[in-house]
Amino acid sequence: MTTFEDWPWQYSFPPFFTVQPNLQTRKIQLAAWCDLVLKYHKANNLYVLDIREAQGSPLFHNVDISRKLSIEGISEVMNEMHRRHNAEPLDKTKNRWHVLWHTLDEWAAILYSWADDTGQLGGVCTFYEIANTSGKEFSGIDQDVLLKALRKLEQRKKAEIIHLDDGNGVKFF
Amino acid sequence: MRRRAGIGAIQKQKLEQERYKDKGTELQGKELEVLGKQLEEFRSKLEEFASNHKSEIKRSPVFRRQFQEMCAAIGVDPLASNKGFWSVLNLGDFYYELSVQIVEVCLATSEKNGGLISLSELRAKLMKSRGRFSQEIINDDILCAAKKLSIFGNGFKVLSVPGGQTLIQSIPGELSVDQTSVLALAPGRGYVTLPILQEELKWTAVRASSALEAVVSEGLAWLDSQSPTPQYWFPSFFIGCMDS
Repeated sequence: MTTFEDWPWQYSFPPFFTVQPNLQTRKIQLAAWCDLVLKYHKANNLYVLDIREAQGSPLFHNVDISRKLSIEGISEVMNEMHRRHNAEPLDKTKNRWHVLWHTLDEWAAILYSWADDTGQLGGVCTFYEIANTSGKEFSGIDQDVLLKALRKLEQRKKAEIIHLDDGNGVKFF
Repeated sequence: MRRRAGIGAIQKQKLEQERYKDKGTELQGKELEVLGKQLEEFRSKLEEFASNHKSEIKRSPVFRRQFQEMCAAIGVDPLASNKGFWSVLNLGDFYYELSVQIVEVCLATSEKNGGLISLSELRAKLMKSRGRFSQEIINDDILCAAKKLSIFGNGFKVLSVPGGQTLIQSIPGELSVDQTSVLALAPGRGYVTLPILQEELKWTAVRASSALEAVVSEGLAWLDSQSPTPQYWFPSFFIGCMDS
């Protein structure tokens, strides 16, 4: 079960759960939602959000004030996060999303500097090893998010993704 | 037949009138002189008083207000005079500093409250940003400084809504009388609804809904459509927002 204590004041503000008709206000509202979604996923180490199931999560449903963000509202939040490079759709219907509290470029930089700091440039590490490194921001990282981030490094010729029998690996340069 | 007044009499009368006039002017002049002297004396006593009680004026908000009132009585604005004698007080600096801080707080919170902040929230935020070692400030100080800001145009205004609430508006634009009446009903509850407006203000539904639309389009209120009757919430009056 997820835990989260750091709710912003908006979470108990009833109209926060109604998509605002005033465009300027809606912009402010969406920005606050983006922040909250990212913080929530980061605190719970969650990487995937499915819009069809999201209403069941306390994130979008405040039981105390019985307010719920609509599916359309959640969609709008995710699209805004997409614009900010903090989310990527996993399918054409845009129901499933990767939530990126670090953008893929940021993840790529974090991973590369870790490899550099720990003397792994030139060596091969498996995705499993990376995700199971303890005490790092990327501890427990979703394999698909990891793959996307490493592809960014690959494009810049700073890494090469290697397909091994029992999963993926990466070689940093 | 009565003799008509001769030329001599007319001249005499004229002369007398002139003398009276002269005397009058003389008296008036003397009176003015005396008054002027008194005012001058009062002024110098006030200056003396100010320099003797410099630290109290700066430290105590109540003292400061009383001093301001005395100054206003003789047409001296210690805020405007940063030259000459009054500069020893640095009172101008005190209010300039406060004005700048007010602008900072209003700008920083305008995103969440639409540019409308209650005097009490503003004061709490000012005290926090000034730190606990600075002089105490009271609402009068804030109002005094905020009023100075209104010279920069209509971007800054002190609003008194019926019911005793004072708000500082830091967005350009004029709130209509109806919008102000709507605002007056929001404190405490944090929101208003169409029936509340109809009930409390005896407005028609058309009038009430157009006032509600206006506060939404000004960015002052947020709509909550998940309650049985739509509620219009004001972040400026929402405790969680005020404390954040």
